[in-house]
Amino acid sequence: MSAMNGYRHELKAEIESFLFHEARLIDAYRFEEWLELFADDARYWMPVVETLEGESDSDPVQGEWAVMEEGKAFLAKRLERIKSGMAYAELPRSRTRRVIGNVLVEGEGDELTVHSNFILFQGRRDKDGDFFVGRREDRLRRAGNGWLIAERKVFLDHRVLPRAVSVFM
Amino acid sequence: MATLLKDSRRLGEDEIRRLVDPDRGIVSGRVFTDPDVYQLELERIFLKSWCFLGHESQIRNPGDFFASAIGEDRVIVVRGENNEIHVLLNSCRHRGLAVCGTDRGNTSMFICPYHGWGYARDGSLLAVPLLREAYHGNLDKSAMGLVRVPNVASYKGLIFANWDEDAMPLEQYLTPEQMWYLDLPLVGALGGLEVIGPVMKYRISTNWKLASENFAGDDYHVLTTHGSAFKIGFLPPYDMVADYIAYFDNGHGMGDIPKPGRALENDLHMAQMFGPEGVEYVQAYNQRLREHLSERQAEIHGLGEGNIFPNMSWIKFGCFHVLGLYSWHPKGPNELEVWQICLFDSAAPPAIREFARTQMSQENAAGGIFGPDDGENFERISEALRGKVTGGSNLHYAMGVGHDGQLEVEGLPGKLGPHFSEQNHRNFYRHWLKLMTAA
Repeated sequence: MSAMNGYRHELKAEIESFLFHEARLIDAYRFEEWLELFADDARYWMPVVETLEGESDSDPVQGEWAVMEEGKAFLAKRLERIKSGMAYAELPRSRTRRVIGNVLVEGEGDELTVHSNFILFQGRRDKDGDFFVGRREDRLRRAGNGWLIAERKVFLDHRVLPRAVSVFM
Repeated sequence: MATLLKDSRRLGEDEIRRLVDPDRGIVSGRVFTDPDVYQLELERIFLKSWCFLGHESQIRNPGDFFASAIGEDRVIVVRGENNEIHVLLNSCRHRGLAVCGTDRGNTSMFICPYHGWGYARDGSLLAVPLLREAYHGNLDKSAMGLVRVPNVASYKGLIFANWDEDAMPLEQYLTPEQMWYLDLPLVGALGGLEVIGPVMKYRISTNWKLASENFAGDDYHVLTTHGSAFKIGFLPPYDMVADYIAYFDNGHGMGDIPKPGRALENDLHMAQMFGPEGVEYVQAYNQRLREHLSERQAEIHGLGEGNIFPNMSWIKFGCFHVLGLYSWHPKGPNELEVWQICLFDSAAPPAIREFARTQMSQENAAGGIFGPDDGENFERISEALRGKVTGGSNLHYAMGVGHDGQLEVEGLPGKLGPHFSEQNHRNFYRHWLKLMTAA
């Protein structure tokens, strides 16, 4: 194996571990630790996906209104809200379980673009539960020995969301 | 109009009257769960009312279209050759499938993917493959256009349609009293309102009326359902936001009307976020309202939210807030599809526009901190009402009975009530009952 291939291989394993660790934190309700994985200037964006003629037209556009569009400060507000005892969409808490896969790492050095797919199950009270399915495009930034999420784009594959979004993706 | 599908067991007038007693504030749980009630609603409410479809800025040019629905019937809203708006049943006259399978776009023809029949922007049938050879000339194309909804009208950009040929004119239906309030967001935009981005769509496993009646003026729920928003400082204390509710003829209602003067105060406070540009915008917005509407309207411009019976709700809080428009698309007695668009002033400075857009995503939308809590609570109602005993019980809509419309504030039209009253719900079900018992 060449040095470059070895580097890519190790990098991919490192990034996968990072994403799996992140998934575990959310599913275990360890939201404070989860939030620390985001850079202070992080941006979180989940656009509305439309059904249009022609594939090239169907990419969501920046500057239009989105399902979620915020920085770390508002993500922190969401956590505060969940702890308020009055966030009824998450009271009692939903059980979530997510599978992250098809991880692809682009770039090298201190900033990477990482593609991944996810299937997320949300079990709510005694209901059957709902699935959210989509892909993510993350921009990861090296910070010390680890990584921070500088940007997360979440592209859901649902035209009509199965329910309002009260869980993190 | 095409023959209606009438597959439901006919509910007799007496039976329907036993379900609701608006004057005493009684609504049976069956109103929200019974499949026969639901089928009758599709016929007597959705085919007899002006239903909201969208905003004119979604179809600016000839050939622009978007898909929508009236009740469970899919329709296409199209801008025609001469700027007129057509509302067409999205169903091929040959075998019934939807001829339009996308959310929106621009086209000169809707072509059915099954056998290739092609329809013009006004619905007329233009192209039939193998017309001469296969039909031997026995197909009258002029009689086979897409079915058109006979009544289509706009009010200041809001597009409505009504299947009822004898419907009263749209403006009369909306009532001048209600539009006195809704004119504020419709007229206040300095450069006109434009839709920002796609229709957001999500499901709630509930009955459509629970969402619709809520927007008609259920200010009472805000304290509890949205209690988290107050706790984390996302909203100022509720008594600083608004003071009154009002109802109107034809089932319409609204909430969160502020005391005159309060709105300007709140807006100027928010303007600090944007510096001088923000203050200038507040002043320009108010100036425009005073010039185009009235002094009194400018003084209460911070409102509020409301519901146009049966399927449109709106929300707007001051000049830095988008106008959010919701259409409630029923999908069965226990299933609702929420369609939401977001409109803002095309002439607002970019920083303000950016703020307004993201604020709405974070607030009263699918991923916001209000929308999910409402949805959760509506679902919990629908789940409970499935029970034989629970579903047959009466629900309580009697807050403030005997005081409906008694509040008077100089210059404010409509039947006013205090912040917390169920007078608007009673008005909603009064109109519901009138339509449901009109044979």
